[in-house]
Amino acid sequence: MPATEQITESLIRDNISRAVKHVFMTMLGREPTLTTAASSPKEVAPTPSALPDGARPHVVGTVGFLGDVNGLIYLYIDLDFARLCTCHLLGMTSDELSEAGDEVINDAIGELTNMTVGSFKNGLNDSGYACMLTIPSILRGSNFTIEPIGAASRFTYHFDCSNHRLAADILLKLED
Amino acid sequence: MRYKVLTVDDSKTVRIIVRKAFKGYDCEILEAANGVEGLAMAAKESPDLILLDVTMPVMDGVEMLTKIKSDPALKGIPVMMLTAEGGRDNVLKIAKIGVRDYLVKPFKEEVLIEKAGRIIDLKPLSETPTRIKSIFDPATILVVEDKPAIVLQIQEGLKHTPWKVQGVSHQGEAIDFCARTPPDLIIVSLSLPEDTAFTLFRLVRTNVKTKYTPVFALVVKTETVQQQQAQTLGFGAIITKPIDLSELETKIAKAMNLDMSQRYYAVEGDCMIMRLPENCSPGILAEAGNYMKPKFAAAVDAGINKVVIDIHQVRSLHMGVIKLLFQAMQTSRDLALQFALVANAQIITECKGFEDTRGWTFFDSLEEAKANVGKAPVQQLAAV
Repeated sequence: MPATEQITESLIRDNISRAVKHVFMTMLGREPTLTTAASSPKEVAPTPSALPDGARPHVVGTVGFLGDVNGLIYLYIDLDFARLCTCHLLGMTSDELSEAGDEVINDAIGELTNMTVGSFKNGLNDSGYACMLTIPSILRGSNFTIEPIGAASRFTYHFDCSNHRLAADILLKLED
Repeated sequence: MRYKVLTVDDSKTVRIIVRKAFKGYDCEILEAANGVEGLAMAAKESPDLILLDVTMPVMDGVEMLTKIKSDPALKGIPVMMLTAEGGRDNVLKIAKIGVRDYLVKPFKEEVLIEKAGRIIDLKPLSETPTRIKSIFDPATILVVEDKPAIVLQIQEGLKHTPWKVQGVSHQGEAIDFCARTPPDLIIVSLSLPEDTAFTLFRLVRTNVKTKYTPVFALVVKTETVQQQQAQTLGFGAIITKPIDLSELETKIAKAMNLDMSQRYYAVEGDCMIMRLPENCSPGILAEAGNYMKPKFAAAVDAGINKVVIDIHQVRSLHMGVIKLLFQAMQTSRDLALQFALVANAQIITECKGFEDTRGWTFFDSLEEAKANVGKAPVQQLAAV
């Protein structure tokens, strides 16, 4: 299917906003709201951390997409919210989750990221950019910065969700 | 039959969500983390449904699906894709290989169950499988009728029961109600406009939560064509207007498979009480008769040796009642139970008029009978 529209910041913003809302509403019954506009690609140097809350511990899910457009999305969720999301998804209490361990949280956030990036990517597919998802991976930390390669464009969006913040950091390799 | 559902997904989270979604249904959930494990599990267990992710390590879902469809032993197993891969082109490509349904993540558990329920005959697990519900247990009855007077009549007529009768007037309201709280029984008026009742019946039967819910048709006695149509479609019972509320109650209890014995038999202190209601229709007499032997035997087994047969509510004596009373007295004798009779003045008078019942001795109240059972003169039994 030929591309029906250019990949613009507006298309990316609409897609990621729709994807995050759809996933969090469907799976967790919570409605996130987009709070910040994207950083324009030219404004990102030097690369800031996408971590929304400074040094608080975060779980970061990553899923890529490959095809007519290549990219990677990092979904930043603070650890407390990641625990809440996992409990809700799996029907567990906080004590049960503590007993189950961090791997369960990693897997749940990996799946939430997979759904979010899948939903984002399906929007690109339907605009004519065929691509496939990669397998999710997880980063954990309190204070770190991800630096994209020079050819990549970066778009960062922050969301408020039930008194928690989350961020979607999108790295895209756009063709000229 | 217990269905087997195989979920193939590299995410343990998704496998747990699937397990959680099917928890209330009579099926076994099998798990595999990739296509290779999935194929091995499918070959070993022959599941009735496979839920398949696309993006997985080792072997992805598309390759597994292709292998399933080229294997004569597996190709008949229905596959539903459950994946975040939802772009139009990809969906079409995968659908061409042969899938029964396609559910894009994120998904609601209800939607997964609804779609799975269209492929396999999912049966809800009973919450209390070891205990049969009785007429004293609460239940919800949904009445779909646009005439408030009829709904009110049913509510009034069943208000002595623990059942909650909820009336709605439109198909949409009925569907919403069923989605929120699946009722134990549905009564639908066939006089709703534009075949609403039949459309609603079909919708109820395709919803996994209500597919086994008994549905009664409410119809005017003379509308025989509609009655036939309802019977053909599979309505559980036809209730004709004007409504015989006693008959309706009996039919509801039967359809909900309730233990009705407590309507007629109860243990009070050291006595078994057998009670007959005001209106002893043939159906009620047959029901009371069916429970008699097991109930009396259970009482004896529990160490009880006295029975009070209480017919003070019975309005008039007829041959059906007399036969049942003879049966009760004979059963008591067979089980060495002492028994006494309680009746109102009119019944006592009527008994004097029959040769077979003339010799029966009655107490005026239950308390008196309970206090004196065993001390009263032995009842005369004669063949009816």
